[in-house]
Amino acid sequence: MTAFILRRLLWLPVLLFFISLITFALGVYGPGDPLQVLLGLRANPETIERLRREYGFDQPFHIQYLNYVTNALQGNFGYSLVKYRDQPVGALIAQALPVTIQLNLVAIFLGLGIGVPLGLIAGLKRDSWIDLLIRGIVIAGISLPIIFLNPVLTFLFSRRHDLVFAAANLKFSIGPILPMVQGYWDGIFSAKVILPAFIESLGIIAVMTRQMRAGMIEVLSEDYIRTARAKGLRERTVILRHAMRNALIPIATILGLMMGGLVAGSFLVENWFGVPGVGQLAFDALFARDYYITMALVLLIAVAYVFSNLVVDITYGLLDPRIRKA
Amino acid sequence: MGTLLEVKDLRTEFHTQDGVVHAVNGVSFHLDEGETLGLVGESGCGKSVSMLSVMRLIPMPPGKIASGQVMFQGRDLVKVDDEEIRSVRGNKIAMVFQDPMTSLNPVLTINTQISEALELHLGMTKEQARKRAIELLKMVGIPEAEGRIDDYPHQFSGGMRQRVMIAMALSCSPQLLIADEPTTALDVTIQAQIIDIVKRLKRELGMAIIWITHDLGVIAGLADRINVMYAGFVIESASNKELFGNPLHPYTLGLLGSIPRLDAALKSKLTPIEGLPPDLIEMPKGCPFYDRCRYRTEKCANENPALELGAVRHWVACWHWQDVRKLRKQ
Repeated sequence: MTAFILRRLLWLPVLLFFISLITFALGVYGPGDPLQVLLGLRANPETIERLRREYGFDQPFHIQYLNYVTNALQGNFGYSLVKYRDQPVGALIAQALPVTIQLNLVAIFLGLGIGVPLGLIAGLKRDSWIDLLIRGIVIAGISLPIIFLNPVLTFLFSRRHDLVFAAANLKFSIGPILPMVQGYWDGIFSAKVILPAFIESLGIIAVMTRQMRAGMIEVLSEDYIRTARAKGLRERTVILRHAMRNALIPIATILGLMMGGLVAGSFLVENWFGVPGVGQLAFDALFARDYYITMALVLLIAVAYVFSNLVVDITYGLLDPRIRKA
Repeated sequence: MGTLLEVKDLRTEFHTQDGVVHAVNGVSFHLDEGETLGLVGESGCGKSVSMLSVMRLIPMPPGKIASGQVMFQGRDLVKVDDEEIRSVRGNKIAMVFQDPMTSLNPVLTINTQISEALELHLGMTKEQARKRAIELLKMVGIPEAEGRIDDYPHQFSGGMRQRVMIAMALSCSPQLLIADEPTTALDVTIQAQIIDIVKRLKRELGMAIIWITHDLGVIAGLADRINVMYAGFVIESASNKELFGNPLHPYTLGLLGSIPRLDAALKSKLTPIEGLPPDLIEMPKGCPFYDRCRYRTEKCANENPALELGAVRHWVACWHWQDVRKLRKQ
């Protein structure tokens, strides 16, 4: 096991080298120029040239790259060039990262809490109307684009709706259920988290529901389930002790792989709901060609995925004894 | 000895997209206490489904017990409620399945899997159940049972897993053990060991056994009585000796003809039964064996024979069993 972990970790620098090289090349040679964005289209070419020398952008590519790597290895990931001018990238990420991780954790929690029970019910009641209903909802949830859900859900839940039934001479109003208070992000323990986390969790709900449904259907047809029933166990025991644990193994894998995605924020959701997370930072950086920020974020996400994969492989055995002792 | 189990006119169907599969078509038999009944037939003849129906373990839907009675200790198991059938399963009637590699839950320890029936039916505490589980493992000949009780199924070989299955089935001292081809997935030496274990335990514990198999060699050494099944019908029923010495149904004769014999002349060929069993969705109205039978007549095509007495305690479902006997003797 130790050898396995070491082997994985030894691959990490190789991986990071290639990722950083590619991202850096895209930043340097890709279209657009951070200084152009900073100074505007009508900027004095001499000013641009001066700044370019100042930042070292006139150096050959390999020198720039080596400088970047040398600094990065010492913990200096450069500075923001445009929007958050001259703020260190490390500090920017340190501010944004906890916000995104918290939001994603809430989304994953919602995804599990809603998706696993839905999938369990759908799998148990296979092909019944409730199964069809659940599958329909899941497909709708995953098919509706976020750019549609953002405004529609916001409109529905964070406004007051006056309903008039002229025929019955009735008038009443509902809402706002989740008032969208002006101002900044209040952390995950405020009602503001509900809508963005829910929208981010829709994809997770869909994946979890489908996996759980398919897993339950597969497991329930296994011979050992018949054995369990032949012992005279209650159906509840058969499902909870014998079937569910086997069906949860792939869920754990998916969940582990999602942990890598914890550090990646959603551009659309974070921007719409004003969540000052990684998604918004990356969004700003990309539009301003602020490539030190982009680089750092890409590397961060790569490292997170490598570690989450490792954690998945290690914790897998907790659920599946065949892997634990093999 | 008293009657333990009496099955009357049991019919089990599976409702599929292609139509209704008639898996068991009016099976009747009885079983005395402590008796060993062999259930023989080729794949798909309804041996397993009829026994799963007895325990109400067929998946419903698509399965359905269309009619019939399963009288066990004064109750009709087809009619009792779920609670009551659960109190019979694993407690009064236990089952060992064909494939020991897939019949144990991979994520639970052997202790958990044996103990849960003990805790459920006999009301034992966890410690009592564990002690009993170790005894059971010793009883089926698992070495170092104390050390292996907390192992997982994948740490056992196929033969050892089948021993665990037997230990599990016998944990609550059932009156009836249904063994559904328990040796089919094992190699021959292990088969012999498993059969020996079951024989020994039967002597010690005295339960009745229904042994399902397609291997006539296995059943010859085990059963008191044998039911031969074909296309969901019992077509011949006789004592072990009688069936092998005086087979009356052309199908049974065909089965016996396809066993290799040590005393056969050198280079003599086995005679397989030509053809395939009938489609269980569109059952023929006559004898189900009609297409493959050497003795068939027009009557066989139109009327399905019922079981009738052909010799002492020997029932056969064939219009021409007397001819079969005569021809065989020549």
